Amino acid sequence: MSEKERKMIGFKCKGCSRINYPKRARCLTCKGMEFEEVKLGEECELVTYTQVYNPPAGYKGDPPLMIGIVKFPNGVLAMGQLAIDHPKDLKLGAKLRPVWGMLREIGGKEVFGFKFELAKKEQTSKLK
Amino acid sequence: MREVTIVGCGMTRFARSLPGSLMDMASEASLKAIEDAGAGDRDFDAVYFASMASGEFAHQTAAATALVDELGLIPAPAHRIENGPASGASAIREAYIGITSGLYDVVLVTGAEKMSTVPVPVATDLISTMTHHEAEYIHGITLPALAAMLTRLYMERGWLTEDQLAAVAVKNHENGSKNPYAQLAHKKATIEGVKDSVMVADPLRLYHVCPLSDGAASLVLCTSEKAREFSGKPVRIVGLGQATDTHAVQERDDPAVLKSVQLASSQAFKMAGLKPKDIDVVEVHDAFEILEIVESEDAGFFPKGKGGKAAEEGKTALHGELPINPSGGLKSRGHALGATGIAQAVELVWQLRGEARERQVADAKNAYCLNFGGFGDNSVVHILRRMG
Repeated sequence: MSEKERKMIGFKCKGCSRINYPKRARCLTCKGMEFEEVKLGEECELVTYTQVYNPPAGYKGDPPLMIGIVKFPNGVLAMGQLAIDHPKDLKLGAKLRPVWGMLREIGGKEVFGFKFELAKKEQTSKLK
Repeated sequence: MREVTIVGCGMTRFARSLPGSLMDMASEASLKAIEDAGAGDRDFDAVYFASMASGEFAHQTAAATALVDELGLIPAPAHRIENGPASGASAIREAYIGITSGLYDVVLVTGAEKMSTVPVPVATDLISTMTHHEAEYIHGITLPALAAMLTRLYMERGWLTEDQLAAVAVKNHENGSKNPYAQLAHKKATIEGVKDSVMVADPLRLYHVCPLSDGAASLVLCTSEKAREFSGKPVRIVGLGQATDTHAVQERDDPAVLKSVQLASSQAFKMAGLKPKDIDVVEVHDAFEILEIVESEDAGFFPKGKGGKAAEEGKTALHGELPINPSGGLKSRGHALGATGIAQAVELVWQLRGEARERQVADAKNAYCLNFGGFGDNSVVHILRRMG
């Protein structure tokens, strides 16, 4: 699968329709065990964030490490790194999109997952 | 049901680095508690040892076996209890269950952690492993980052100002300066000093965050029928509560509400037959100063969104209407993970016995204690009462 084809997936319970993210063995609401994979979407909104000046061992970037919580149109919330160059003007509610990339090392091995970048690149240039 | 009394307590000083091994610290605290109880060379029916990460920090697993051997308490049954930073309170709870079941009469509960063995980024990573592996940990999330986002939510909602947050740190440093066991007893803080301290995870600054610590604390518990066999002034455990919440913080209906604290607290108050207004002194889990505020609200001491204001008005100060963290809390006493929940109980035993010297809360009869695992995903509450 190419990186562009990778999508963030939630797990919709066939019993009660709750979208579980992350995946779990039994639904948090109804203990159902059958799930349908649903795409979380290409655009999400920033709910809150922080810049971590003391990142954990295994994070290979320069501090600060930007971390935020985003909300998808279906209500699902996710946490992840924010790949944003100029955080000073970042506003809560900013439109973001998930992008696949290397997150950190764990036990000496690179770990990949979704980060979030500004949905519109021109926002980046405006912030500059 | 049988009742459980604390008849002895003791702890080491908390410090960034203490000399000696994990077992040296654990046995020092244990021997102090045994001496305090007047338990002499008495045997124990069981030993519970609380440590969040003795294997990871101190290269020592099955550490409860090491402790009974160190203390000459073989063949007492021994267990290590691990429940993240709430390991200490969980060990007290397990001891309570062991005694009320009738299986044990006299139990030693000791918690210890030696965090100075690894560099700070490694300690930060080890602590972060308690977060949800796929949804949080692999992204590089740290506990300060979770606390920072909670702080930002509070500020966005108009529930907290920078000055109110700083007031908690100033108060806890003031209390800690009166506690000879506190890691940061030598450091006081001012509102301006807190607001100017270095940024850890914005908007959290150094003075909003507890230090890494070495330390140990210990209690002797027994069935209340046997309390007279010991010399320590008895303090009874009259309420217990514990509840969990979603592992990943963002999955909660409202991440600004600590539901596990609400549930654990209401259970404990119900069992004790008390209300928040009946409590005279409180120790809560202020790994970050925002947590003291949110916990004080969700425990029921202040309305939601008003905890910061209460702290700023001095209501939670040593001689305020509800003193919170007279020990200096995790912020000033320090936070030696597995030892913390037991150190909180030790402080409250001293307060209820009237032995807290310079930081004594006047005429304290009922005390509330909250130890917090993960980031609000596993909260353990005890309510203690002075007997006689």
